[in-house]
Amino acid sequence: MDDTADPRERNMNEEDIMKKKDMIFEDILKLLIAELDVSPTDIRPDMTIAEDLKFDSLQLYEFVIDLEEAYDIRLPDDLLDNVSTISDVVDLVYSLSIEPKD
Amino acid sequence: MQDIELELADRLVRIFENVLFTEEKSIQQGYFSNLSIAEMHTLDAIGPYDARTMTETAASLGITTGTLTVSIDRLVKKGYVVRNRDEKDRRIVRISLTREGKLACRMHGKYHKVLARHILEPYDDKEQRMLLDMVEEVDLYLQQQAARYDGSESIRKTAKEVADRKRRRNNDDG
Repeated sequence: MDDTADPRERNMNEEDIMKKKDMIFEDILKLLIAELDVSPTDIRPDMTIAEDLKFDSLQLYEFVIDLEEAYDIRLPDDLLDNVSTISDVVDLVYSLSIEPKD
Repeated sequence: MQDIELELADRLVRIFENVLFTEEKSIQQGYFSNLSIAEMHTLDAIGPYDARTMTETAASLGITTGTLTVSIDRLVKKGYVVRNRDEKDRRIVRISLTREGKLACRMHGKYHKVLARHILEPYDDKEQRMLLDMVEEVDLYLQQQAARYDGSESIRKTAKEVADRKRRRNNDDG
């Protein structure tokens, strides 16, 4: 069975992915702190956007547009419908930001 | 049969008037009250993502570029739209939404989505599909009727007049 450098490379990639996701989480934290006037320690990845952060639609779209501009991605409503927690946002931004651009 | 025809005719007109009326109210009472319904639709036609040409945008709104120019001038002044020269061909002017424009466009999109969600809510998937098929038929028929007239500007004007009449009537009653 040919598994050339497989485990190490995969670990390396996983580490990279985690790093990138941590960076996205940090960026999101900065945006939320500016938007909601809360301390970074108040925000956890498992918090929901609608209930825990109590975003109204305007705040939600301000946040979404900031993310779109920061990562040069598109977050249309049908993608946002599947997002509930901050961690979901991190995953979505990550998956869109690694997609090749046109 | 006569009753069904009358009822459908009546409901169609009422749906049309109320969609227009609530849409206008939702803008007036929302965060972007300095936008008219036509201006909101112009933002919608430009869209939150792309820098579009005047010709494309005018075509999707069914208006002339001359009419669009007047509307865009106002939207630029209000801070919702920016004009930029095309990077590849400097002769082409492209219009795109500012951050405020994007916000207005997305908030307004939400109004339409919530409306649709409430209408669909009582039905299961199969019924929703059926409802959509029937509405599609109605839409196609009305599009054919609309195509018999010159451009959609006159139709939009008529639509506005009907809504204004209805509002005046309501005001008189109240």
